[in-house]
Amino acid sequence: MNKLLVSPSPHVHTSVSTQSLMRDVVIAMLPAALVSVLFYGWSEILILAVSVISCVGLEYLISKFLLKRPATICDLSAVVTGVLLALNVPPTCPWWVIVIGAIFAIGVAKMTFGGLGQNMFNPAIAGRVFLLVSFPTYMTDWTVPAGFIHATDAVSGATLLGAYAEGGVEAIKGINYLQTLFFNIGGSAGEISACALLVGFVYLLVRKVIRPHITLSIWGTVAVLALIFWAINPAKYPDPIFALLTGGVLLGSIFMATDYVTSPMSAKGGIIFGVGIGLLTVLIRYFGSYPEGVSFAILIMNATVPLINKYCHQKKYGRK
Amino acid sequence: MSKTFKIGGVHPHDSKFSRNCAIEVLPLPQTVYISMAQHLGAPAVPCVAVGDKVKAGQVIAEPAPRALSAYVHSSVSGTVKSIGPRKDIAGNNQNHIEILVEGDEWAEGIDLSTDLVTTIPTDRAEVLKKIQMGGVVGLGGATFPAHVKLNPPAGSKAECLILNGAECEPFLTSDNRIMIERSKEIVVGAAIMQMVLGGCPCVIGIEENKPEAIAAMNKAVSELGYPGISVMVLMKKYPQGGEKQLINAVMGREVGSGALPISAGAVVQNVATSLAVYEAVQKNKPLVTNTMTITGDCLPVEKQHNYLFRIGMPLSWIAEYAGGVPEGAAKVVSGGPMMGRAISNLDACTVKGSSSLLYLSEKTTKRAAQSNCIRCGKCAEACPMGLEPFLLNKLAKNGMMDELEANAVQDCISCGCCQFSCPACIPLLDTINIAKGQVLGILRARAAAAKAAAEAAKASQK
Amino acid sequence: MTSAIIWTIVILTVLGVVLAMVLFLVAKKFKVEEDPRIDEVEKVMPGANCGGCGFAGCRAFAQSCVEAGNLDKNFCPVGGNDTMKKVAAVLGIEAVAKAPMVAVVRCNGTCQNRPTTNEYDGLKSCRVKASLYSGDTGCAFGCLGCGDCVAACQFGAISMNPETGLPVVDEEKCTACGKCAAACPKQVIEIRLKGPRNMRLYVSCINKDKGPVAKKACAAACIGCGICAKTCTHGAITVENNVAYIDPAKCKLCRECEAMCPTEAIHAVNFPKPLDKDAVKARIAERNKKAKEAAAAAAEAAKAAAPAAPEKKEEPKNE
Repeated sequence: MNKLLVSPSPHVHTSVSTQSLMRDVVIAMLPAALVSVLFYGWSEILILAVSVISCVGLEYLISKFLLKRPATICDLSAVVTGVLLALNVPPTCPWWVIVIGAIFAIGVAKMTFGGLGQNMFNPAIAGRVFLLVSFPTYMTDWTVPAGFIHATDAVSGATLLGAYAEGGVEAIKGINYLQTLFFNIGGSAGEISACALLVGFVYLLVRKVIRPHITLSIWGTVAVLALIFWAINPAKYPDPIFALLTGGVLLGSIFMATDYVTSPMSAKGGIIFGVGIGLLTVLIRYFGSYPEGVSFAILIMNATVPLINKYCHQKKYGRK
Repeated sequence: MSKTFKIGGVHPHDSKFSRNCAIEVLPLPQTVYISMAQHLGAPAVPCVAVGDKVKAGQVIAEPAPRALSAYVHSSVSGTVKSIGPRKDIAGNNQNHIEILVEGDEWAEGIDLSTDLVTTIPTDRAEVLKKIQMGGVVGLGGATFPAHVKLNPPAGSKAECLILNGAECEPFLTSDNRIMIERSKEIVVGAAIMQMVLGGCPCVIGIEENKPEAIAAMNKAVSELGYPGISVMVLMKKYPQGGEKQLINAVMGREVGSGALPISAGAVVQNVATSLAVYEAVQKNKPLVTNTMTITGDCLPVEKQHNYLFRIGMPLSWIAEYAGGVPEGAAKVVSGGPMMGRAISNLDACTVKGSSSLLYLSEKTTKRAAQSNCIRCGKCAEACPMGLEPFLLNKLAKNGMMDELEANAVQDCISCGCCQFSCPACIPLLDTINIAKGQVLGILRARAAAAKAAAEAAKASQK
Repeated sequence: MTSAIIWTIVILTVLGVVLAMVLFLVAKKFKVEEDPRIDEVEKVMPGANCGGCGFAGCRAFAQSCVEAGNLDKNFCPVGGNDTMKKVAAVLGIEAVAKAPMVAVVRCNGTCQNRPTTNEYDGLKSCRVKASLYSGDTGCAFGCLGCGDCVAACQFGAISMNPETGLPVVDEEKCTACGKCAAACPKQVIEIRLKGPRNMRLYVSCINKDKGPVAKKACAAACIGCGICAKTCTHGAITVENNVAYIDPAKCKLCRECEAMCPTEAIHAVNFPKPLDKDAVKARIAERNKKAKEAAAAAAEAAKAAAPAAPEKKEEPKNE
């Protein structure tokens, strides 16, 4: 007989691991990625491949040669960053821009802080925002490439949010919400189908990967604020459903705001975090110079997480 | 909807493979080694000498004077061969009495028949004395002397006696079996304890994954007809059988930090303790036997057993009798997989609180390499005390005692939920347990200093 | 354009001057009066802030020295006598020299001497391991090998030897601050007199089990046989709880105990020459023989002097 193992209790462990959690997140993003490939075709496949390969490759190279420690790519967190980054850029984005985004996301936002678990800002969002301010032309070029299915006649044009920012409520009159729910051509890959994103959200909830607090509080805040503005001046502001279904609200609230590392631990903290993101998103959209504010909102709220964690604790047993 | 505690908890697979294995009586080995440290508190002091003839059920060690301690009885009849240090399951030396087994003769006055004695005695002091003399200790894990727990300090009143039949630890089935096979005795034991506590109601809490036990206990309760006893079905969730969690599930109350359950009006006893109380009071039979489960994930079901063992039997002998240590066993645990102790010395002997020999395969039990904390908060979500293990772990690593105390590390019940649920396999509980010990030491020192200061002030006033 | 630059310069300059004034005034107002000697003492301290002296850091130590006005209770193990001389000079008093100390690992349970009996799978920490059980070898007293002492040392003076699984003290770097001894849950590490020219003898085992049990667990265990204590002519060795201890203050470094120890549990370090065991053994045998003869002669003499008196046991202790 071999020597017996001895260790302190517990002697069993859950089957959930960092790797399995990240795998679940990737699976949850698959519907959105699939829809984007269907509509945007080969160029989207190229974007996904470049993004994932450069994120994973960079993490490997950095941990192997710069930090000189065992590579952690097996935990799949770099894959998650890669897919998220790909879903966050326009389908016409050149491949080298994506590589630069990956360098910033993995090299600066993640590995500089010590790798997975240590970063303050969500790497994918940091990468996207970096690209947005560095290459605004590429990042706001919404030309629609040829996809595998042709859903509309539109070959170029702005996103719905962009159209609204340009032309006000008049410009978006007559959009079909039911159609928006399923596909919404124009915009970054991850913004096409609300339905695909929601499927991913449900999957994450069922697998208990995330708790709904953050996502729901973002939706709630955006909806309530949009409702207030709309009620005050429906001629100037769009209705809450438009605010929720367009732009990156769904993508950001489901996949990026809920990133473990850069969101608060407690449920209470999560709600504060979500409300903050919702608030900032609406303010940036309606009063800022960018048509979309979700990524900025998440990035700003990421910075407040240590503070939120410090003051928000869950209720302890037998204590007030 | 079955009841449960409010904060945290985890759902490990319950793996109760041996649930249908009826209790078998183990034969006697040639020698037993009876430990003097079978209970919480000071070890008992031997009161027999080498060469003495002893009978089963005879007192062989008395409680250490002026300390929390308990009587220890011989579990066999025979001759005392030696008294001296022997290694326990953790390899630490404990005083043991070695007895060579000769025949199976029981001390006088012990009723070995299986007749049920249902008349509840009314003399409270007499019953408490019998429980103490019977060496009865809590069999739920802590082995706290039962007569102390059943005698709440003046000024506190028991409002509810909770019988713990939750058996929330995976794999273990001994409580399940005694609730099925000895349900009536358990109910009589509960009625006795009710009387001792002044007639408070009694709730028997059983997890929903034991339907046979629930049915048997319900039947016994209604057939015996004692007033104020009821069965409550609890949700299957670990640690449902934790004292504080059980009180929360049954009574909806919380025990204050650092306080005893009686402060919330509750007294919790295990169903096995209730059986021991029944035997000590109604049958004059001291606590020298208990039920243990031989189980594991690398043991075929036909080799799994529930045994009635006598204290002092070597574990290696029991393992051998049950068919040897299975091939794939990487770890042997005494107790459940969540809170049990890994056995480093299989030659150690059974004690009053032994509840299992659990063989775990390497795949199940070997710890995976730890990786970075991803701040998922799953440990905090799982903690039934509402603590934040990720934070405590970090504070403990930096030796920040004040912050540890402020974040209530001393409230930790060591249930293991945090470490169980950590996706990064961080050994949270290892670190937290040490920090908890340090903070408790600081708290005790502070309390002692405050007491001394108060006494000094009193003296100077005079 | 020019005016903008000028305005910028003017505003920034004024701002700088005003803030500097504020800083200056605040510093003046809230200045804490301190004994200037504290700063001076702190300056001569090693500045490691290790806490080996029992204070929170070098400044706390300096403060305590100045407040007490003497050095009776204060000693900096890191700086040693040199530093204490400097501190004494600052305070204008005389420093009492202390003999240099060093950390000594009293366990020789190498992988060969002490085979493992089980595999530890918990957190790699001696403290956690010790609180769980007796350890992964048959010996419940010796080194647990998880390196808590290595982590506790701020001077990099202890490292684990991967071959033996035991910690090794670098005497050059060790300051005898005692952090490692405090970190060891088994009290394996002793802060011991360094000895003349760093030569010292010590029992490298603290196993309190009875001889056969200890021997079974570890080939290098002290079995408490007491031969060393009988051999020692300086009364430096005591055997208590089945384990011998050499008092470094009494030890004369004659190495006779080392030669006689049946398990080689007594270690001698920094001696220039290896021990010639047989020569020492012969010397001891010769001495014992003489002592026996002398005792016999004395007994004979006593018998002759007082034949009527009942037999009295007389043991000639000192020859």
